[in-house]
Amino acid sequence: MAVQSDVIDDAGPYDRAKALSAFKLGDVTFYWITRLSAISVLLILGGIIISLIVGAFPAMKEYGISFLWTQRWAPSADPPVLGALGPMYGTLVTSFIAMLIAIPVGLGIAIFLTELCPQWLRRPIGIAVELLAGIPSIIYGMWGFFVLGPFLANTFQPFMIRVFDGVPVLGAIFAGPPSYLSLFNAALILAIMVLPFITSISVDVFKTVPPVLKEAAYGVGCTTWEVVRSVVIPYTRVGIIGGVMLALGRALGETMAVTFIIGNSFRISSSIFAPGTTISAAIASEFAESDGLHQSGLILLGLLLFVLTFFVLAAARLMLMRLETKAGK
Amino acid sequence: MSEMSVSVSATVHPGSQPLPEAPAKVTARNLNFYYGEHHALKNINLALGTNRVTAFIGPSGCGKSTLLRIFNRMYDLYPGQRATGQLLLDHTNILDPKLDLNLLRARVGMVFQKPTPFPMTIYENIAFGIRLYEKISKPEMDDRVEKALRGGALWNEVKDKLNASGLSLSGGQQQRLCIARTVAVRPEVILFDEPCSALDPISTAKVEELIQELSENYTIAIVTHNMQQAARVSDKTAFMYLGELIEFDDTSKIFTSPSDRRTQDYITGRFG
Repeated sequence: MAVQSDVIDDAGPYDRAKALSAFKLGDVTFYWITRLSAISVLLILGGIIISLIVGAFPAMKEYGISFLWTQRWAPSADPPVLGALGPMYGTLVTSFIAMLIAIPVGLGIAIFLTELCPQWLRRPIGIAVELLAGIPSIIYGMWGFFVLGPFLANTFQPFMIRVFDGVPVLGAIFAGPPSYLSLFNAALILAIMVLPFITSISVDVFKTVPPVLKEAAYGVGCTTWEVVRSVVIPYTRVGIIGGVMLALGRALGETMAVTFIIGNSFRISSSIFAPGTTISAAIASEFAESDGLHQSGLILLGLLLFVLTFFVLAAARLMLMRLETKAGK
Repeated sequence: MSEMSVSVSATVHPGSQPLPEAPAKVTARNLNFYYGEHHALKNINLALGTNRVTAFIGPSGCGKSTLLRIFNRMYDLYPGQRATGQLLLDHTNILDPKLDLNLLRARVGMVFQKPTPFPMTIYENIAFGIRLYEKISKPEMDDRVEKALRGGALWNEVKDKLNASGLSLSGGQQQRLCIARTVAVRPEVILFDEPCSALDPISTAKVEELIQELSENYTIAIVTHNMQQAARVSDKTAFMYLGELIEFDDTSKIFTSPSDRRTQDYITGRFG
């Protein structure tokens, strides 16, 4: 190497080594800037976790593990009795129903937009989906409160009760007195809110399918449905699941709209038309007026949401790995 | 005469008699094609002989692939593309707007420039196409898959890993998998759109051999940029230039004594 660089030094009309060392300084700076950026993520994450644990410690010491399966939430009792079961149940149920609705609808929109939609309709629908993502969540909350709530209570729930009255499990799910504020109302609003995530990510990944692969599928005589089911979706599986997880993350943590319409009841009811609460709704509605053990309990709830989200994401990763082994990659 | 034409004509066995005329499988009469306003194919008249290999050669953009994509109506997937004139598969009008495209594409299979295995196992890649048309039992399906893979000269290489992903195969194997997949549906015509342009020489030789074997049972049209390939595999050759069919004749004639000046210039490498 030394010989070579000597040759270059002699040959160059200017000092090449010096010029290179200037680049080297730039390289080192660049390396450290990017490295510090990356490390800062770890620091922020670690800092948040630590402060959550510190804040939640009194409640953890007081209630221990039974915090997880205590349903009673009585912060004004003496001593306060706090349990996370209600908010955890509400968070999981609303997110589950929201995904149940949003995944098929979101994928449906994406498939229509990329595979079936006539050119002139593509832009209007695409823009509408993007606008849906731009609506502030408080507006969804108000809409759920004034429009969706009354509709669900006065029209939809009586209809479901009539249809499923007496059916063993479903009857209980739809039973109960009509209420504007309910888990189902919150789940519907969540579904609408996460729809743009699923749709726009799916559209993007569907566009990555090579046209020739689709042509090949059409070439053996597939219908559009068969092409989508057997080629487009398997090919883009990883991207779709990524989009769904992003949407689920949003649904689990969404606060404002849900606080507005879920009713903030800590009691667990079998009916999805009954009021409930979620972790973030409980924190948002009580944190300002809380102190002492009550506040610590709310922080512990926040920590739980953190852990819950982490597990959901981990489960998604695991599922993805399973799928990949199954596909023989 | 350049060296090129010498080597090309050497590969067409001198003195070998062209096969007798075969009845037409696909017939084009006054076929025109438009990409929007652009008139891409002009008054094409030709016939693909039954169980013969017809090669399409010509410089890039001359309309060879476009013509191929009319034979199975692949252009239908894209708005703004249309064909006029007459195109018959036996007695079926391919251009009929009411034609069942899925059925047409089962009769006219296509192999693409790049290997296009579906994102599933090797077995499923083959079984998938069969299942679209036939409901058959598992043992029958196993049998059909094996036959198709043998037909694609791939069976010996993959018989122990039928459950591996189709994407795990090498490029040449993937292409033969795609050919096997096409054959599995039992088409009558197979279209090859530059099937070897992404393959190494050994894989190319295998695919060419396969095309020759397939021509015993299928009518084959192949687009190629490789003139030796056209000379090796085809019975008839069509030379196209700027959307027109310049010359269509027995392969040996095209490569030894073309009647059009432009054909001569192209096969001797003077342009293209």
